[in-house]
Order: sequence, then structure tokens, then C-alpha cells
Amino acid sequence: MAAPVSNSSGCWGVPEVYKHHEQRKVCISRPKYREGRNAKAVKVYTINLESRYLMVQGVPAIGVMTELIQLCALYGAVEEYRPLDEYPAEEFTEVYLVKFQKLTSARAAKRRMDEKSFYGGVLHVCYVPEYETVEDTRLKLQDRRRYILRAVHNKAKEKEQKETAEKEPTMSSDTATTSERIVMRHDKASDDDNTGEASNVSKHPSFPPLPLPPWEYNYYGHKTQHGTVSTEDKMGTLHNAIIVTKQQPAPSSSSSQTSSDGHKGAKHRLTSKPSAVRFVPRSTNLENRKRKMDEAAGHSLTDATRNDEPLIGPKLPEPPKLDMEDESLNTTVSLIRNTMKQVESVPDLKPVEKKVKPRRRI
Amino acid sequence: MWRKDSAESSDRFEYLQTLVTEFQDTDSEEAKEQVLANLANFAYDPKNMDYLKELQVTDLFLDMLTEENENFVEFGMGGLCNLSMDPECRDIILQSSGISLVTNLLSSRREETVLSAITILMNLTKPSSRSEITDPAILQCMLRFSLSESPRLRNLAAVFLQDYCTEEQVAQAEQQMKGQQTAVGIPLPEDSS
Repeated sequence: MAAPVSNSSGCWGVPEVYKHHEQRKVCISRPKYREGRNAKAVKVYTINLESRYLMVQGVPAIGVMTELIQLCALYGAVEEYRPLDEYPAEEFTEVYLVKFQKLTSARAAKRRMDEKSFYGGVLHVCYVPEYETVEDTRLKLQDRRRYILRAVHNKAKEKEQKETAEKEPTMSSDTATTSERIVMRHDKASDDDNTGEASNVSKHPSFPPLPLPPWEYNYYGHKTQHGTVSTEDKMGTLHNAIIVTKQQPAPSSSSSQTSSDGHKGAKHRLTSKPSAVRFVPRSTNLENRKRKMDEAAGHSLTDATRNDEPLIGPKLPEPPKLDMEDESLNTTVSLIRNTMKQVESVPDLKPVEKKVKPRRRI
Repeated sequence: MWRKDSAESSDRFEYLQTLVTEFQDTDSEEAKEQVLANLANFAYDPKNMDYLKELQVTDLFLDMLTEENENFVEFGMGGLCNLSMDPECRDIILQSSGISLVTNLLSSRREETVLSAITILMNLTKPSSRSEITDPAILQCMLRFSLSESPRLRNLAAVFLQDYCTEEQVAQAEQQMKGQQTAVGIPLPEDSS
């Protein structure tokens, strides 16, 4: 709507209540397979709707502006903010305009703060692109374009690298190969910087995708290859992280983090496609190493020839060695067998008496 | 959405495929709108673009532009707005007479549709398409938009005129507008429904 619904008493300059500020009714008729965690309205987001400017409605009028801005600042640097006294507000609430330094921050803030309770009120957060200047709009579009082109560029590079990687022989513990790949990757990255069209792209990462918690990538895994990769390369998982491997790091680290609300209300999820450099958190690396050492310890019981592998960190205490020939291991079995013989030797059917045995409490 | 959270690449593709299939198979307008909006939003993330191209979703969006249902049009345009920055999608749109389809929608009553139209035209601009996109009729439309009460419309039109046209072209269009006695051309959008 170019002519918004309201009296245009021009001299007062009352900000118009635009349709895109209004909350639409939540959609209740979605089939299960595409029902999200949070009910959402049917709405399409384009670059035109998003903005670094957010409007926050429903802030209780109890002098909590500072707290509100502090909350916003969790999502990224706030450039400007002011109360929008002119904007129609519900009784006892205030409306604020918040300008973030980056669109990604505004996006995160909107997603996390919208419909959340705040000092007894419920916030309604929406983008307000109408507060942009022409320059703001221009930069927004440019940033978006750069981001897309860079993503396309990177994908093309990945495909190239994947193809060259597939041509090489199967994954080996040969560190020379590993470092070769890393060097290749660095070369390509520096090529990026040198090419004219990409030069701006690499220097202005101002429109990065919302970074997912790193463990998201853990879900990408080809289980079949896991065993070969992890036992052969003991140089540490960092190398494995860089190689485009089919690796599945310890699930325990990812499950503990799954419970965090990193996924609430997300419309899109970045897929866990193989990327040239993946950030694997240190805790995952440590757990991977531990797991590998466990496996190594397990292997060492049966395979004595693996002692020449460089073992990182302290050795685990060895489990007590069992003498499998010891008769004492068969005590229980013998007891049961004897009892069975006795039971079978008794011809009459006796009613089963329930004996109350004193139970040992552990 | 639980499936998206734990999706591998192929899962994501399958999910998108399911959406497209539902869109094609369902008779429910409401379901179609929901799925269309879903797909348009997925198109916002460049990581999905390969799958969407494989599923020919660009064509699906283009098909929406001639629909009666204004929501279909709006969501389709939103999807194209999101996709059209990708060079391959841009070319697909251009090859399918995208410029004229999109230009027609500059006269839509829905502001979001019009905004998407302007953005798509910007995205479609490359040396081979520039002359078509800077057609005087389109420039005149943009000039009128630059006087609109809507800040978003004003801003986008201004960026279009400043960054995608030469000063001579704009001056020429202004002259032509003054010369016209009746308000011919593309009207400003009314209130959205």
C-alpha cells in the first residue's frame, strides 16, 4: 500500500501504521510434516521486508528502556535507538525504534525477542524498513547481493575441490596428503582475494548467514567411513575438520547442546553440507580424542602391534586383566545348572511357593 | 521444524521435494499458499538454491505471476525476489520473459508485490537486459514511485533510478511525463487487501 490507511494530517507527521507491522494470525491448518515448533503466520520474507531497523512494541512503561537496549545488544551492536512516542501504543506500553549495525543482528533480535515476555509485557518486534534512508536501502541490497554471490562462488569452489578430492586415492593417514589439501584450500582462498569481482566479497563479510551452533555440522555423517578415518589418523581431529571427510564426532557433545534453544523459531536451517573449513568446537575435539583413545585402548587388548601409534595425552588406566580359564567365572552358571537338574529330577508338580528371600540391597 | 534441524543434504532436498509435490497435488488454495510461502522463504537462503533449481522452483514461481489469487502472486514474486540474485536463476527468469511478467506487476495493488517487482528488475539487470529494463515506460513508473507516500517505495525507486539508469535516460523520462496530458501508465498501488 502506497497510501497507508490513516488521516494524513501532514503537519503532525504521525508515523503510519503499516500493514507489515501488524501481526498476522497464526496459521493453524498446516499438515504435520511441515508444522514448525512454533506456530507462525503465512508470510514471505524478502530483502525488502527485512531491515536493520526494528520496532519493539509492548514494552511496559516502567522505565526499562536501558534494559531493553541491553537485551537487544545481545544480538549485535546497536547504532541508535529512540522511543517512538508518536506511534500508537497500547495503554501502559511504549514503542521503541532500534537501529542495529548489521542486518543479521536485527534478524536474530527479531527472531528471539518477538513474542517474548519482558518485565511483565509481551514484546512485538518487527522490521521497519520505512525508516531507512535511500542509502540504507542501497547498502542493504548491495550487502545482500555480495553475500549471495560469495555463497555461489564458495559452492562452485567446493564442487571443484570435491571433484579433485574424489579423484585422489582413498583417505590415508599420509599427512603429506593432508597438508597438500590444506595448502590447496589456502591457495584457492587466496585466489578468491585476487580476482577482481571477488575482492569486495571477501573483504566485506557484512552479510554472513546467521552462524549456527557448530555442532549442527555433526549431523552430517556417513557412518560407514567413520571407522577407517578415525583410527588411521591420530594427528588430532583438527585436521579431520579441515578435510571434507565423512566424520561423525561424538554424539554426546551434540545432544547436550541440542537442548539449547538455538533452533527456536528458525525459518531456515543451514544444511550441514560439507564445507572446506568447518569449525569444530574444542570440546568436540577433546571428546573425539578421548573416544579415539578409548578405542585405541580397546584395540590394544587384542592388537599388540598398534603400540607405535603416537598417543596424545595421558594413557588411560588399563582395565584389569581377566583370566578366562578361571573356574570362579562359572560359579553362577554352575549353580543354575545344578538347580535345573534338581528341579527336573522331581517328578511331582508342586505348587509354586513363593519364598520370601532376603534381598540384598546394593 | 524438526526435520530441518537434523537434515542432511539429501533430507533437505527431499523435504523441498515434498513441498513442491504437495503444491502440485493439493486442491486446497490455503495449503498452496502455505507451501508457496514456505518455498519462497527457503529461497532466501542461498544454501537451498541448488535444490530449488533442481526442483525447477523458479518456474513454479514464474507460473504464479499470472494467477488470479493475489497471495499466489505476492508469494511467487517474493520467491523470485529472493532467487533472482543468483546468476543462474536470473538467467532462467530472463529466458522465460521474466521482464515483461514482472513489469506487469508494477501495477499491482499489493505493495509487497510492487517492491518485489522493482527489486527483481534490479537483479535482472545485466548488459544484455539493460535496455529492456530501462525502457521509458518503466522509468516513468519509477519516477512516479519516487514521489510516493510510501518510504519503501520511494527508496527502492530512487535506488533504481540512481544506480540502474543514466541521467539522460531519467531526464528523458521526466520530459515525457510532463508532456503527457492524461495520467497514462502504471498507477500507484492502492491499499493492500
